[in-house]
Amino acid sequence: MTAQEIKAEIKAGEQPSAFSPALAARRRAQARADRVAVFYPLASGVLGLAIWEAVVRILKMPPYLLPAPTHVLAETWLYLPMLLKQLGITAFAAGVGFAIALVGGVVAGAAITASRFVDRTLYPWLVIWHAIPKAVVAPLFIVWIGFGMTSEIIFVIVFTVFPIVVNTVTGLKSADPDLLLLVRSMGAERFQMLWKIRIPNALPSIFAGIKISATLAPVGAVIGEFVAANQGLGHLLIQAIGGLETPLAFAAVFVMAVFGIAIWYLTEAIERWTIPWHASQRGSVLGL
Amino acid sequence: MTTVLLQDVRKVYGGTQADVDALGPISFGIAKGETVSVVGPSGCGKSTLLRVIAGLDSATAGTVTVAGQLVSSPIGDVGIVFQRDLLLDWRSVIDNVLLPAELRRMDLSAARTRAMQLLAELGVADFALRYPWELSGGMRQRVAIARALLCKPSMLFLDEPFSALDALTRDQMNVILQQVQIHEGVTTLLITHSIQEAVFLADRVIVMSGRPGRTLDEIVVPFARPRRLSLREAPEFAAIAGRIRIHFERTGILVG
Repeated sequence: MTAQEIKAEIKAGEQPSAFSPALAARRRAQARADRVAVFYPLASGVLGLAIWEAVVRILKMPPYLLPAPTHVLAETWLYLPMLLKQLGITAFAAGVGFAIALVGGVVAGAAITASRFVDRTLYPWLVIWHAIPKAVVAPLFIVWIGFGMTSEIIFVIVFTVFPIVVNTVTGLKSADPDLLLLVRSMGAERFQMLWKIRIPNALPSIFAGIKISATLAPVGAVIGEFVAANQGLGHLLIQAIGGLETPLAFAAVFVMAVFGIAIWYLTEAIERWTIPWHASQRGSVLGL
Repeated sequence: MTTVLLQDVRKVYGGTQADVDALGPISFGIAKGETVSVVGPSGCGKSTLLRVIAGLDSATAGTVTVAGQLVSSPIGDVGIVFQRDLLLDWRSVIDNVLLPAELRRMDLSAARTRAMQLLAELGVADFALRYPWELSGGMRQRVAIARALLCKPSMLFLDEPFSALDALTRDQMNVILQQVQIHEGVTTLLITHSIQEAVFLADRVIVMSGRPGRTLDEIVVPFARPRRLSLREAPEFAAIAGRIRIHFERTGILVG
């Protein structure tokens, strides 16, 4: 019997529940909940911006001190092509650095889980490295690697790798011992155990690491650009602040924020698509 | 014909302070096609016993033979069901049932037909494409039984399979298990701490003492199959259950 046949068989036995009054009522309640969920954050945001605008106008603050939100928006619009170009550079550094951190972090996590030797020798270094405030050592990267993109990407890697390693280790180690015993009795080989049990089991945890690191990556890139680059949003920010072009600095921050939010939702979407079976994702699957 | 044979099996766990005697010495056999229940108090080494027979744990002393072979590594010809269903959240019901065939690299289309038959027999065929978290505890355990039986093992080991279920579901599961068991003709080892369940499902009940678990008594249960739940109210049934209970009372496990 193929999967299609099974599907057809099950469909035939199903009740046409899509038209049941109970389901319709639940959908209405959900729509109402959705409206409320959108309304409060939106209202709070608009109110906050309005107060900011009012304060700037009433106190007649000079723009170099604090520009009004409308001013920031206008500035963003004015410099949009340039801002997007700089964002592209920052995003490139963040993306490449994050991708390397992701692959390297998962591999390192797997090695730490698989080998006690690696665990004992590599893990302490990672912890020590994580304890060091990396923004402070960023200038050293110029000394070691030089000025430019390479330096920036490496900084992003060291800035984002730790959460991925830790969460990969946690995930791979969290497989149920009874489950491993059971699949062993089914004749599972080491590789099958890793591929079919341990890795899928670790995915929710790895995703927790990915979400932290993916949002840290642009931050890392900007810090890298503060010190080790002559382009990108970080560099622009330093220049704008130095020249007292505060509205432009705010515009750069605004673009960064929008980008960061987009990254967050992108990782969430990928997570939903990859691990729809996990407890944290179930509501969205059922549509309840 | 005896398929499983234990001779003076002991299990001692090395502790930090002192070694802990977990099991035995215990000796018994299971005949082909027979259902043996092992009933005993918590911590008497029942689960250890099952693991040792399945080759998932090694005995400290004594020998275990299955089908004439000395057990030293996991035996293949057995399906195991634990107290927790241990279904994989990321696989649909049907794919969970297919797992053993997949791990053994067997023909999956034949296995799929077999899986659907088992699910139908266990009354969960309609849920084949659902995910484990959409199922109730009893249904999940039925899927676990289907998974254990997929590769037509000649033995089925159950380690307190229904302990986490409510009383009514548990009764229902006893009936379903008996039905599948008759149909599949598997030699069954059932570990339980329910006296009623042990007697209802078994040809023979082995009563174990507290730790380190030894055989207190072996009782043959003569009732013909299929058995009905109402059998449990029959005086003959009550007599056997009573005989087991007295063992537990005498050793202070039950106070009544």
